[in-house]
Amino acid sequence: MATAMAGRGLSFIRNIFHSRLQVPGVGPQQLSCVHTTTSLESKHWERRNLKVYPPQLPDEPRRPAEIHHSRRQIKYSKDKMWYLAKMIRGMSIDEAVAQLEFNDKKGAKIMKEVLLEAQEMAVKNHNVEFKSNLYVAESFSSKGMYLKRIRYHGRGMFGIMDKVYCHYFVKLVEGSPPKKEEKTSFDQAKEYVQGLKNRTIIHSL
Amino acid sequence: MAMHMRRTLLVLRRATCNSLKNSETPLDVRHPIPVLLPLRTKKRCFIPPAVGMKAKKGVDPEAKARAAGIVFRQQYMERPINIACTAGIFDPYVPPEGDARLSTLSKEGLKQRTEQLRQSAASQLAFRKIKEHDSEFSTKNFAERAQEIFTEAHYALTQFNKEKLHSLVTERCYPEMTRGNRYKTIHWRFIESLEPPRVVHARCPDMVSKGNLYGQVTVRMHSKQTLAIYDRFGRLMLGSEEQPKDVLEYLVMERHIVNPYGRWRLHGKIVPSWAPAKDPIVKTVMIPGPDLKPGEEFDALNYEVPKPAAVQWNK
Repeated sequence: MATAMAGRGLSFIRNIFHSRLQVPGVGPQQLSCVHTTTSLESKHWERRNLKVYPPQLPDEPRRPAEIHHSRRQIKYSKDKMWYLAKMIRGMSIDEAVAQLEFNDKKGAKIMKEVLLEAQEMAVKNHNVEFKSNLYVAESFSSKGMYLKRIRYHGRGMFGIMDKVYCHYFVKLVEGSPPKKEEKTSFDQAKEYVQGLKNRTIIHSL
Repeated sequence: MAMHMRRTLLVLRRATCNSLKNSETPLDVRHPIPVLLPLRTKKRCFIPPAVGMKAKKGVDPEAKARAAGIVFRQQYMERPINIACTAGIFDPYVPPEGDARLSTLSKEGLKQRTEQLRQSAASQLAFRKIKEHDSEFSTKNFAERAQEIFTEAHYALTQFNKEKLHSLVTERCYPEMTRGNRYKTIHWRFIESLEPPRVVHARCPDMVSKGNLYGQVTVRMHSKQTLAIYDRFGRLMLGSEEQPKDVLEYLVMERHIVNPYGRWRLHGKIVPSWAPAKDPIVKTVMIPGPDLKPGEEFDALNYEVPKPAAVQWNK
């Protein structure tokens, strides 16, 4: 998951780490790998698209294609985006696009664009045969870089107003969407009772 | 701000009230009533930087320097570019139809073979020009060297060794070879050569200025090769590992003759118009349908996929 943190705070933490690690006489090559980078420099999610697998042997099952796509700095709240992201998790891409098209939220339009872009990328660059044969494996939103403004209150008081931005990430996988196993309440009750019955008292007579 | 005024007015009123209430003072003495008390508003602990920024009128350092009398020499925004290869194939070789179909023992086959370089005068001229600058050039050895360069270049492509590839292949040919291949795995094997490679054509164009010669030599080779391309996920996209194919190719090798450090490098391939169609790729591809006017219907049964015209093109 990509984590976006404020640049100033992170460089401060990075300085602390560097100073702490260099003190006990350890050479620069032997620093422990404390990886602190801002989301602006390293886009991990996009880099997952560059991973190359070795050729498969003919008797292995066909590896499903995975396409990672994201959009950064969307002018929307990450909490409001989460509701839409949770809605389309596990849906096939056609279903997801249809649901988002008729959703009234602002984030739905942007999400639909992202999904269609990802579908096109899949067919063009990642050797996906059928563009409908994709489903949403992962979809989530995270905080982007906020702008800060002053919100004026009465009596000379003020508040810091955040202009919120969010990132949206989606991973499409080739194939039909996995079926969700629906457990009935009776099965769950049975399992609970079984759990209670399995309890033992150790070191007893 | 309105806040300031209200606060100061309040203070004023209080001050005046206090002064009036104070009955100990005699009536003649006039105390100076403070007109304006400086009063601070609530201190802003944090102001976002965007608020404080007003349009700054840029101080022009150039004007200041000129006023001070400093003179700068004229700065040329230039960047030297080395052109080491031409942009295409000049006067491409047109391979005769049925080149590899006829066996060399039959009459037509012999005729074709004897239609060698002797016929084409321009090629002879080109060879003479090349031999002027490079005395070690000989048509007999060159064909084998060309095949070696070809094989090495393709093996470097499978390993994706950029430096070696750049030294064996010109800058025009490099993107054509590597486009889209960065995240794919290519397994290519050169099994054997069915016929000895032959030099069939040569041209020596000069670019931009008169003496700047580039030599382009076409080599014909017939060989057996295996090709298998796997996509990013290791799935077979094209070809097969075991099944070899007979390939007739016309390679164009180029060298910047005037440059003493120039090397013969693969510049491109010529695909004749009568070349057989390549094998289809493993996946199914959508072909865009015809442009329909509103009201027209698409007839899937009687629709014929338009085939591209059979033209010779350079790869």
